[in-house]
Amino acid sequence: MNTSPIVRDFRAGLADGKLLIQQCDDCGKPNMWPRYACPHCQSDNLGWTESGGKGDLHSFCVLRQGAPEGFDGDLPYALGVVKLDEGVQLLVRLEQTGPDDWSGYECDDRVEFVSKEEGRECALFRRTGG
Amino acid sequence: MAENWTLNVNAGAANDPVFVGVGEIPTGKFPERGFIEALTKVAILALKDAGMVPREIDTILLIPNLHSAADQADLVFSRMVEELGIHGSCKSSFMVHSGGSTSDNALRTAHGLITAGHAKNVLVLQAERWGSADLNEMITMLSKNGIPGEWELPTGIQFNAIGAMITRRYMHATQSTPEEMASVCVTLRNWANLNDNAMFRDKTLTVEQILASRMVADPLHAYECPPMADGACAFVVTSTENAKKKGIGHAVRVAGSGGCVSHYCLSQERDQAVLGWPLAAERAWSQSGWGPEDADLAEIYDSYAAVTTSALEGIGIAEKGEGARWFAAGHGDPGGKLPMNTNGGLLSAGHTGVGGGTALLVEGIRQLLHRAPAKRQVEDCQRAIIGGTGGSYMDAQIVLLERTRLGA
Repeated sequence: MNTSPIVRDFRAGLADGKLLIQQCDDCGKPNMWPRYACPHCQSDNLGWTESGGKGDLHSFCVLRQGAPEGFDGDLPYALGVVKLDEGVQLLVRLEQTGPDDWSGYECDDRVEFVSKEEGRECALFRRTGG
Repeated sequence: MAENWTLNVNAGAANDPVFVGVGEIPTGKFPERGFIEALTKVAILALKDAGMVPREIDTILLIPNLHSAADQADLVFSRMVEELGIHGSCKSSFMVHSGGSTSDNALRTAHGLITAGHAKNVLVLQAERWGSADLNEMITMLSKNGIPGEWELPTGIQFNAIGAMITRRYMHATQSTPEEMASVCVTLRNWANLNDNAMFRDKTLTVEQILASRMVADPLHAYECPPMADGACAFVVTSTENAKKKGIGHAVRVAGSGGCVSHYCLSQERDQAVLGWPLAAERAWSQSGWGPEDADLAEIYDSYAAVTTSALEGIGIAEKGEGARWFAAGHGDPGGKLPMNTNGGLLSAGHTGVGGGTALLVEGIRQLLHRAPAKRQVEDCQRAIIGGTGGSYMDAQIVLLERTRLGA
């Protein structure tokens, strides 16, 4: 298990209800996923900034069968790729729009960070109201 | 500004690498067929096709398997050298690996080795036992390929979810319908029905059957997901000089290649409906001296329909946004304007892990050697577009092949 500080801090942020984006303290650029050195300037002087939590849903899917080991109990579940307004991207779980139903989503929907997905070390997003 | 990529070897040059033989055994579920047995069979078939005996091979390039670490170790540690009886004379045996695009990179490796003089005769070998492996084990193993453990494994992502997201974005961007997406699978099945080595050689498939099959990962239906299969294939590369000495009249050469690694995990891809195809194509076309309109056939990675339809657009075979409708119009079918994945592709010949792309490459070489069975041989074909991609569609690789007369 990887207990590197970038993993530990990112997950601690999620547990605390915050979506953290790694930010290079030298060039100031955001990195997602967090990196072990800044891919823009190779600095290891890396810190964090809290995301506004809003972005566009680039794509998504609903997995109904064939989950990896340990995920059978989660089925069905929806995954989405979100382009955050800060200019970085990540993979998230999507909140259902009805019981086991995600038909309310479309590509390019505005979505927002809700919380850490319960029982999983990843972020949960939902459609932005209105 | 356009990049300048030039191959350092020309057609007819003594050191121009040429493909002179292929071998393949049936794809499907063959639990009784051993891994080393399969590799040995395709090695001998390819050597016979090339008019060679094992001791002429100085370099073996191995395409990895995904079903077993123990079998992988057998490959890495030169078992095939001994099985073919060339221990003591073989110069080098090693593995090349970039997942689904391995065959394209193995081809480039062989090409470079021969051009530079590091190798004379290269045998490329592939075998996989995905069809006989434990399905749940393979799903879990694949949820670690192209998926960062720290960041994305906790979401529960796996390969069908990756294919589903690409498909969703492609359909959204191009307004392609479920029927149009399904038509890609039907074209592939039509070709598989002409290939005795294909997993689905004797089963037909319709758009209606696909759309009636269960939803696996919306928007992907079960019949739009690749069937895991056992399979093996091989090919032989030599120099023009050596092929001429052997009296070989026609062979297949590399006109050019191009690639683009656009991401590692899918979440970092800027546009899932486009992927790395446009830059890969620009680089490939700048080397080849011919364009998409000159090709007689194409063999492009098809683990999911949207991978291939985006490739068609990036390569310039179909207009932007029209890849799926290009298939729906029958353009890739037997008798269509550009025969596409003439072995049935991964979706209908069978997904043999890293081998799916290898089988497409071998089919392209076979077609250009004019050695495909008559029922699917593309008449007098001279040029083929080969496309590959690996992992979470991390890269787009394009190889342009052409038939060449050696003047023997």
